[in-house]
Amino acid sequence: MTVVRALAAAAALVVIATGAAFAHHSFSAEYDDKKPLKLTGTVTTMKWSNPHAWIYVDVKEKGGKVVNWAFETGGANALYRRGWRKEDLAPGTVLTIDAFQARNGKPTANATSILLPDGKRLFAGSSAPGAK
Amino acid sequence: MTRTTRTLLATAMVVALAAPWLSQHLSGQGTAPPAGEQKAKEPVRRLPDGKPDISGHYQSDGGGANYGLEKHPQDFLTPGGRGVVIDPPDGKLPMLPWAVAEQKNRVLPERGYDDPTAHCFVAGVPRSMYVPSPMHILQPPGYVVILHERMAWRVIPLDGRPHVPDSIRLWQGDSVGRWEGDTLVIDTKNLNGKTWLNEVGEIVSHAETVVERLTPVDADTINYEATVTDPLVYSRPWTIAFPMNRQEGDLLEVACHEDDEDLAHLKEIRDAARAGRARR
Repeated sequence: MTVVRALAAAAALVVIATGAAFAHHSFSAEYDDKKPLKLTGTVTTMKWSNPHAWIYVDVKEKGGKVVNWAFETGGANALYRRGWRKEDLAPGTVLTIDAFQARNGKPTANATSILLPDGKRLFAGSSAPGAK
Repeated sequence: MTRTTRTLLATAMVVALAAPWLSQHLSGQGTAPPAGEQKAKEPVRRLPDGKPDISGHYQSDGGGANYGLEKHPQDFLTPGGRGVVIDPPDGKLPMLPWAVAEQKNRVLPERGYDDPTAHCFVAGVPRSMYVPSPMHILQPPGYVVILHERMAWRVIPLDGRPHVPDSIRLWQGDSVGRWEGDTLVIDTKNLNGKTWLNEVGEIVSHAETVVERLTPVDADTINYEATVTDPLVYSRPWTIAFPMNRQEGDLLEVACHEDDEDLAHLKEIRDAARAGRARR
């Protein structure tokens, strides 16, 4: 949790430095601050949409079952301003994602940052951390 | 010709007039100074008539106002805020008791999607000026035009015309402006009262009127103040203030809503809360 909070704080700093995130609704209603996650998986789809974009990632569970997780991020333009590019997120790309899971327990989460195979970390601009 | 038709024609004319300004200002933004090199503040730019030239691309330093106008700590993924209320001096919104109760209700989890901007309605005034998205200011002759990235705009005539009739109610209201020295004063009425002031549901009604003061203090900074008067919600007028900073960059398209999966999730939460109440 400490690590997650540190990441959230780092994300906040980045957002303050770079400006806009696109927030629309209560995140505490939808996501659970008691359910931080760090998951590694393979991109199946990146949906560049507003007001929020979504990354779908196949994550292999301990028993070998593959679950397709949906990660919410900031809007397409917020991601673009943070350096996200379509070519970095092609299907098959392996990502490690820090996120908070949805309260409903489904494989849905709000991403705070992603780690690309080349070691580059991108902040997700998700509705919120530190947006001003 | 009706007043509405005239307004529409005027808007179309201003958009047409704005085209050269758009092409001028949305291209060739120059290059940013090297990292670590502090750019010296340049004086306020001037138009040929001597009025300040405030045109350009701006991002407000809204200090978390979109998540609460008063000073507040971060709450999970909802950012904290430094507090932008400068009057009353205690930094608190002078809400009437019913408004305090309504605002508490608006932050319940089952109302997580009730903010009108979540449904792509425009943010209103003054919220349009502090949502965390940039804006582009144009100054065609006789007007100030503010293009907000969140698919909204304000066309502000400077010719002294009166407001539209009181019966016309608008999400962004009807704004008229004038220069007082170097300060652009914008007077806004005819608001519809349907907007929220931020994601935590701070309140305005259809009785809201706003006086905004934009004072450029150097070539890249505007001091922004807005005084909101709304006797249905507040016991007295109140004022917020923050800087607007000129930035390199362009407006990007925000096609709200292309696809929002939150709606389904938040409906589940609302329905569960309602079912819980029914059981009680």
